[in-house]
Amino acid sequence: MTRSDRKQLRAGLAFTSLWIVGLFAFTAYPVVASLYYSFCDYSILKSPVWCGLENYRQLAHDGLFWKSLRNTLFYAGLSVPLGTLVALGLAMLLNCEIRGRSFFRLLFFMPSIVPVVASAMLWLWIFNGEYGLMNGFLNPILGLFGLHGPAWLADPAWSKPALVIMSLWGTGNAMVIYLAGLQNVPRELYEAAEIDGASSWQRFRHVTLPTIAPVVAFNAIMALIGAMQLFAQAYIMSEAANGNGNASDGNPERSTLFYSIYLFSTAFQDIRMGYASAMAYILFLVTAALTWFAARLSRGRSGEAL
Amino acid sequence: MARPHTASHRIVVALLVACSAAFVLPFVWLVSTSLKPIEQTISLPLTFIPRAYMAAIGGRQVEVTLDYAVSGPGAVVRFNSGPDAGRTGFVTSGQLSRGVDAAVVHPVQAGSWHVTEKDGATLGGRPAWDIIPREQVSSRIRFRWDNYPKALAALGGDAEADRHRVGFWTFLRNSVVVAVLGVLGTVFSNAVIAYGFARLRWRGRDAFFALTLATMMVPFPVLMVPLYGVFKGLGMIGTLLPLWLPTWFGSAFNIFLMRQFFRTIPEELSEAARIDGCSEWRIFWRIIVPLSTPVLVVAALFHFIFAWNDFLGPLLYLTRKDTYTLALALESYQSQNGGVQWHYLMAASAVTILPVILLFLLAQKTFIRGIATTGSKG
Amino acid sequence: MTLGHKICLPLLLALALPAASAPVHVTYWEKWVGFEGQAIQTVIDRFNASQDRIVVDYYATSSVDRKTLVATAGGDPPDIAGLHEQHIATFADAEALEPLDRFIRAEGMTNEQWLSRYYPVYAGICSHGGHVYAGISTPAVEALYWNKTLFREAGLDPERPPRTLAEFNDYARRLTRRDPATGRLTQVGFLPQDPGWWPWIFCRWFGGSLYREHRVTFATDPRNVAAFAWIRSFTEAYGLDNVKRLSSEFGPWASPSAPFFTGKIAMVFQGVFYDNYIHQYKPGLDYGVGPWPEAVPGVDDFAMAEADVLTIPRGARHAKEAWEFIKYVNSTNTKARTREELEGAELLDYLQVKISPLRQWSPFFAEHNPHPHIAMMRRLASSPHATSVPDMGIWQEYYREVISSFDRVRLLDATPEEALGDSQARLDESWERYRRSLERHGQWTALGETAPP
Repeated sequence: MTRSDRKQLRAGLAFTSLWIVGLFAFTAYPVVASLYYSFCDYSILKSPVWCGLENYRQLAHDGLFWKSLRNTLFYAGLSVPLGTLVALGLAMLLNCEIRGRSFFRLLFFMPSIVPVVASAMLWLWIFNGEYGLMNGFLNPILGLFGLHGPAWLADPAWSKPALVIMSLWGTGNAMVIYLAGLQNVPRELYEAAEIDGASSWQRFRHVTLPTIAPVVAFNAIMALIGAMQLFAQAYIMSEAANGNGNASDGNPERSTLFYSIYLFSTAFQDIRMGYASAMAYILFLVTAALTWFAARLSRGRSGEAL
Repeated sequence: MARPHTASHRIVVALLVACSAAFVLPFVWLVSTSLKPIEQTISLPLTFIPRAYMAAIGGRQVEVTLDYAVSGPGAVVRFNSGPDAGRTGFVTSGQLSRGVDAAVVHPVQAGSWHVTEKDGATLGGRPAWDIIPREQVSSRIRFRWDNYPKALAALGGDAEADRHRVGFWTFLRNSVVVAVLGVLGTVFSNAVIAYGFARLRWRGRDAFFALTLATMMVPFPVLMVPLYGVFKGLGMIGTLLPLWLPTWFGSAFNIFLMRQFFRTIPEELSEAARIDGCSEWRIFWRIIVPLSTPVLVVAALFHFIFAWNDFLGPLLYLTRKDTYTLALALESYQSQNGGVQWHYLMAASAVTILPVILLFLLAQKTFIRGIATTGSKG
Repeated sequence: MTLGHKICLPLLLALALPAASAPVHVTYWEKWVGFEGQAIQTVIDRFNASQDRIVVDYYATSSVDRKTLVATAGGDPPDIAGLHEQHIATFADAEALEPLDRFIRAEGMTNEQWLSRYYPVYAGICSHGGHVYAGISTPAVEALYWNKTLFREAGLDPERPPRTLAEFNDYARRLTRRDPATGRLTQVGFLPQDPGWWPWIFCRWFGGSLYREHRVTFATDPRNVAAFAWIRSFTEAYGLDNVKRLSSEFGPWASPSAPFFTGKIAMVFQGVFYDNYIHQYKPGLDYGVGPWPEAVPGVDDFAMAEADVLTIPRGARHAKEAWEFIKYVNSTNTKARTREELEGAELLDYLQVKISPLRQWSPFFAEHNPHPHIAMMRRLASSPHATSVPDMGIWQEYYREVISSFDRVRLLDATPEEALGDSQARLDESWERYRRSLERHGQWTALGETAPP
């Protein structure tokens, strides 16, 4: 190493020194410690005792663990595709030449920056079975068929769809990204397609889609990772809508017991930090696997389309 | 592509209007509820416009609540005997014809409304009530702006708020402290770190950067338990520190964001400065930072929104009420003993939302551009 | 002595003296707001004024149990935590609570002597594994509340509540009404899920046990299964859709639109505190309060007891001062003849319109209690058949299982045998795991030897 190399290294390390500390203290150490705890019987109040694979063995036949995983996948399976469709749909509408475009964009985007606690309160009220806005609209329509809107968050069959609907309200973020992607599609491509006599569907299929597919794929993956970690809305709303004191248990009937909720209540209610760490590591693996899979899928798709 | 005044253009506009109605309605509902008196939040059918109902009870024109419509005819009577002797009550025509020991005050037609004096109940004892035809109830629009100060007082726990000076202003201050210190930390630390990755060439840089990117994959729950231990060891549980201190040590996403931006600044600028004998710090501070305002503003805005909206962090680390942020205080208010009233909850929620909406309206261009660029890095 | 010394000494003294006599501030977290919060504040003010060493600072805290645990784990607990009784065993096993034994000893009493001042069910609540972990702040006892107007309309004697389970079922049937045109329910006699906070009590009421000889007995005790079959029978009788529709019209329990207040439910089991809420939200409601009907032949004084408790978390900075306050709230002036002479427990319970957990009541408290049914409540609280949550460390998990089974059964998603069986399987495993964990930390033997059979 030459003197100037060493000097460069020193400068580089100096500039990144904050990050070296941050990376170690707030990421690297926790990742390793979490792995260690996952092999321990550990409550933060007592010292950890090594118990080998016991936590993982228990997880394998912990019905609630599987239930929380199923609930989470159900939620993600609904909210990610629907959210992508809604965001893409809105973006395509906004990509048309109409007046007041930036005003609409503003409206659609605004909900996505509302604090989650506040939007949880708002939707809690909207989904109120009796006096809520949702049933206030649905009941007159359903009433024609002799039906009645569900109790939403208090009904195990409808609590997850309710959360999905709420998530659609916050898709403005993705919409803005897709809109930017759409606007990057070169105008000439459309014009060329039009001259070739392509229908609007063909233009969408062969011009628009291939161009924005990587953006859509990337954001869908991000949304998937976000959905896997769904916490605040479900935590606040399930407890409030079902009024059951301290048990953050995904009421009603554990239909909103999502992965992060179960993890949180295991760690900070039952103070079984070791077990929670094992759960966290499995989430880590599942997230990584999903990301890898989705990335591969999207790469294949866009490659084929291009 | 739809062109103006074609059929498809009209469809697009119609769709946009319909969709924006769906997106805006929750906000309208929020504000509407926050301005209603409690009984109108739980009355059917739903209304959007808060009203005040007035009627004459016992000869006085007072504000009333509409309780329910009487399904059949009957009379308001004064009982002469029995456990209710001396009190007034409603009996149906059927009961009346079977014989009730009571004096009829006035007859009641089917469909009349039971009304109660609105402020009567709070005075203790039985509020004044009557059953009168709907036409005799007048109404006008009235927004209950006083819900807002009441809701903010309730947020801190009323009486207790005075005693310990813990209330809305404390929560607001905490939220502002966490957001502002976090924004400063985010902008400063990540800019410095990103400079090290973007504009300096040193051994191991690229490997280190790859590692940095890899940490973005780690879900927060993996870090949650040990981080709690870290902050416990530092004696920071129960303080605001865990919520903003880490921002001063960089975050992978922002490092990535700023590095991308810094790399677009021509290298010649730095080279010229180096030849003039400028230190790297001076180059960073005098050349790179001034040219990078857009990306710094984006990072600052995003962090502000994140910090303001954060729920899990405060839920984990804050213990004492005088350290609560607005978001946590709102959740805590909602889950308080004995339940909560919707009009106050909506008012408190509206107040929590307001700062981010204002910030967004002020800086919407930057926001939209920021999201569009950061999100498109596929 | 130099000039400097002359100035410094008084200065030092001035700084040191107030510090020496400055009172210790004790942080107290409690769940109450509203009038209950004002009541405890009055008691705190009285305590603070009674001496000059300790000042108790009150903080109304929602989800106080979880927050206390998290704060204790983080090393920053309050000095006093006002928990719910069902967390004592878990928190104690987790070493999150300070045993109060040494403070009791310092008062010159044994644990037994200290506890003998309470009614037995509350003494049981305060202790776990042979240690005392809590004092009572306010106790509750649950009884049957019924709507006299609806009784009259149904042709029942409004002054005579059902006395046996069979009678109760019969009354519930007769108090149920349907809209003749649509067949929809407009009123039900009884609905097990209102308020739905403690479905496990139906097991105990039916004579079942939840935990015996260190084993979970949720599904293995046939009386529990019978209780859940009884719960299910209401949904079957009313019709699931009808129940769902009716209950969607229920407002929050503490509001004017609560089903008991609007006459949609005729009979509920509710706590001693319910009178307060009736008074607040439905003044003038004509209601009666009585004991639980006889579900086990011969047991006509069954009762459910709960308590809000005061505990000292591990790591509290001012444990000794905290104890002083807990002691104050757990003693009374037994000679009080006026409102002003009330102290401690009786002052708090008087202001919150509740019973006192202590056996001995002062003349004023017993005779001038604002609670309209105090004698009935006292009889139930002192009953040998009064029962509270099982004293076991996984009660939180157990409770969630009970709620889950309860929901499945009442929504007809599972038979009682299936639901309880599933829960039992999970709980057996949890309990085994929990026991192993205690063994690992050397706590099980201590617990095992002293745990009540």
